[in-house]
Amino acid sequence: MTMTPIDDTTSEAAGNHTAGLPRLLPLVPGVPEDLRTHLGRYGRPPMGNPNLIRVVEQSGLTGRGGAAFPVHRKLAIVAAARGRKVIVANGAESEPASRKDNLLLRAAPNLVLDGLQLAAAAIGASEAHLYLHSISPEITRALAQRAAAGLDRLAVTVTEAPPRFLAGQESALVSRLGGGPAVPGFVPPRVTERGLGGAPTLVQNVETLAHLALIARYGPRWFRAVGTADEPGSMLATVHTNSNISVVEAEIGVPLRTLSLQNNAQAILIGGYHGAWLPLDAIGTLTLDNAELSKHGAAVGAGVIAALPADRCGLAEAARVVRYLAAESAGQCGPCLNGLPRMAAALAELAGRGHRRQTRADLERWAGLVTGRGACNHPDGTVRFVRSTLTVFAPEIALHAGGHCSATNRTPFLPLPDRMPLTEDDWI
Amino acid sequence: MSGSTVFWYASRATGIVALLLLTAVLVLGILVNRQGRLPGLPRFAVTSLHRNMSLLAVAFIAVHVLTAVADTYVSIPVLSSVIPFASGYERFWLGLGAISFDLMLAMIITSLVRGRLNRILWRAIHLLAYLSWPVAFAHSIGSSKDLQQGWLLDLSIACAVIVAAAALWRLASAARQLPRAARVPAILARHTGHQAAERITR
Repeated sequence: MTMTPIDDTTSEAAGNHTAGLPRLLPLVPGVPEDLRTHLGRYGRPPMGNPNLIRVVEQSGLTGRGGAAFPVHRKLAIVAAARGRKVIVANGAESEPASRKDNLLLRAAPNLVLDGLQLAAAAIGASEAHLYLHSISPEITRALAQRAAAGLDRLAVTVTEAPPRFLAGQESALVSRLGGGPAVPGFVPPRVTERGLGGAPTLVQNVETLAHLALIARYGPRWFRAVGTADEPGSMLATVHTNSNISVVEAEIGVPLRTLSLQNNAQAILIGGYHGAWLPLDAIGTLTLDNAELSKHGAAVGAGVIAALPADRCGLAEAARVVRYLAAESAGQCGPCLNGLPRMAAALAELAGRGHRRQTRADLERWAGLVTGRGACNHPDGTVRFVRSTLTVFAPEIALHAGGHCSATNRTPFLPLPDRMPLTEDDWI
Repeated sequence: MSGSTVFWYASRATGIVALLLLTAVLVLGILVNRQGRLPGLPRFAVTSLHRNMSLLAVAFIAVHVLTAVADTYVSIPVLSSVIPFASGYERFWLGLGAISFDLMLAMIITSLVRGRLNRILWRAIHLLAYLSWPVAFAHSIGSSKDLQQGWLLDLSIACAVIVAAAALWRLASAARQLPRAARVPAILARHTGHQAAERITR
């Protein structure tokens, strides 16, 4: 384990900021903060720190959009570029099972906008965007109040994303902001080199920016007071149980069983629809961090944690999800366009009764064939989900082969949107 | 074959081989564009074959040009291989050869630096293939008495028919192609047997 040395030049947090959670969410749940209460709780954003990228590096902050990429590296790449630069706060949380970015944008829009301005100043951006699925009254109010208070250096352009799974993908986002459909582009060039209008573009998840706004205020040592040494800080997680869906702010590295998951779960989906299922026996010992989860082929991702109730069929759930993922392919890369519908059909067959012996082997084979062959990671993420389904629900597959199913409740559990894209307009 | 005619024969022979190679390159390029396959070859191999064969064609054209210039029976200035209509001998037909060669160089150079180029620009330049091949073909027929008779004439006609058929197939195939966004529902409906517009949730 390596420790990043900390020479903390920023002021240390005082009083109730020292280690307590929540850091991002309102102290009184369900009450959105306006600018006055925001400034009362956190103070003004400390603009003009020339060492902010270094402070972020010391904090160990990683991207909270799912990929967990070190934030300071992206900041440094764009900061080093010359000429016009663009920053985008990405709130287009496209994972149907994730609710945390939407909630954060409603509950603490000012923290996100602070982070956007701080990061923009750190990289020398001259253009700032906020990209999200739907403009809420809270966002409109926050932008108006900040403009009236003269708080921000850069005006923020707000753009709505189409309700597509891939809409929040970095290059899809750049395509959409540029007036095109929200479909992924081919890499290279990365958007940090050539993004919106050809300018180097920094895209950060809104939660990441909110953490950055607090790190700029309270310093890396404060940030590292919670979490693990390698994955410091807190994170927002969307927790699905039989009875409800809730967003919690959790310390990274907490035991999964503390996340108010119900006892009647048979498996846990972690990381969302590009994530992986974990068997029940792993839940007792696992913690919410990538170091632990990666031993089981899973990752924290964007923090979706869904406890599948014992009365549902994991295969039926997985078949619905993979069919959705296949429908959400941008239709640009052959392996994804042709492979995902085949996998969806095969899973639907496994979810039925008395499938052919060949079907499972076909699924494994197609999973290998599409991996690593897309412009974006949609095929790879889908394969991760499919493979973990085959592993975790192997006993259920055997049951279905014999014409049985252990489920007693046919109500769909994992949330999915009810409309699939049919025309190019659905991607705009 | 005396020493003075070896260049002349070499130039004519490499010219004919280059025409065959360019025909193959164009047909393979159309196949790559339509994501078609050759029996027993994966798609990426069709792409590699297209690339490698185009480089091979350029090598043959280089020998074709250099031997024509080196031959002393007629005087062809070296610059006339890239500057159209700069040759006193067969000014028009050799000029067509130079035009075609210039277009090929543009396509090859932009393909070698494709990673640094805008895709639209690369594609626009690559479409010059449809101009370059007919010009090269006219150059071949016009400047060579060999190709105007006998089995070499039959071979030339075969090349032209193949290219015309491939180009027509490309147009027909592109016309049949679904818009990008409609491909996914169509394929999903084919495999899962559901109507494309069916609701996903239940």
